[in-house]
Amino acid sequence: MQEQRPSFPFNLIEGMMPKFPMIAVAGWMMVLVAFLVGATALSSAQATFYSDARAVREGASAGSAFVQASVDSHVIETWLPQFKFLGLGLGLMAITMALGSIAKRLRRMGQVISNHLPDDLRPPMPPVPLRVRVFQLSTLMGVMILLAALVIGIVLATGVVPAYYNYSIANELDLAQPGSALLAQLGLVGSFADWLNPLRMLGMAFLFTAITLALTVIIGTLRTQSAMLVRFQAEASSRR
Amino acid sequence: MSNATHPSPAWQMRAFPLFTLLGWVLILASFLIGLFVLAPTAAGYWGGDSKAVRDAAEAGSALIGQLQTLTVTPRWLEPLTFLGVASFMTGIALEFSTIPGLLKVRGQVMSAAFPLLVKLGGR
Repeated sequence: MQEQRPSFPFNLIEGMMPKFPMIAVAGWMMVLVAFLVGATALSSAQATFYSDARAVREGASAGSAFVQASVDSHVIETWLPQFKFLGLGLGLMAITMALGSIAKRLRRMGQVISNHLPDDLRPPMPPVPLRVRVFQLSTLMGVMILLAALVIGIVLATGVVPAYYNYSIANELDLAQPGSALLAQLGLVGSFADWLNPLRMLGMAFLFTAITLALTVIIGTLRTQSAMLVRFQAEASSRR
Repeated sequence: MSNATHPSPAWQMRAFPLFTLLGWVLILASFLIGLFVLAPTAAGYWGGDSKAVRDAAEAGSALIGQLQTLTVTPRWLEPLTFLGVASFMTGIALEFSTIPGLLKVRGQVMSAAFPLLVKLGGR
């Protein structure tokens, strides 16, 4: 018996499902890149910035090594966590897809066994549970949120963050007055992490929910198939 | 030939939705607190007054109140978010823990039904 092909975007997701090892490796590599950037560029920028007395580094003017190190540090710290979480998200997505592939195989296995039953004892094939579509959508939603967080991180890291930190701390940033562009930028720079970090976790929550639902599909399939076989055995035994 | 029985529902299957729900509540709460409490407070504190005014703020002033909120809230909010993550993981682990039992029952059911399948099966 041939299953009906799912509609968009589920056909896209189901097409990607067998590629879960590649997705897992891609996620792992993103986290590795995050580590390497942290260990090289970010550490180096921090080491440069903290290489002299506070008065010297905060008094340094724009264009100096200290200000550039401060800019680099803040820029990296704006996009790197979002990138790292997208890598983790891809890892969770791979787990969801692996579970989805298992559920699909179990369904096919059930079909094979069902086809070997006598026609009059063969139960109708149950429809694909709605939870399959929900966990696929939840996976998509989680990854989209993490991707959106990365895009926001990149926009901030290429816009307001370098624009704000590219000044002398003591002579320009600390002297900014209410209503100035610098203080408005500081308001944004000092507050985005308060909502962007929890937004990432919201993306992770969707991915965890997808794993939870995918497991309920597998458990449900196993239970349904056992129940079918129990029914078949009872009916076939009473017939003899 | 032994008689196959339908697998009984495991307690884990009743417990896991509570953990999943708890995970959602905690993570959603931390997102909403971040979006509607911390972010506006931070924007107001950092973007509202000059550094000299912020540094000179006296005890009991609005600025000190904002600073306290920005310093104290993340200390418990972040662990709360991770409690949400842990809740999700516990729910997932509980679900996984039912699978070996289900596979065992499935094996027993299959071995009980197999002779009949061979005998009555058309193909």
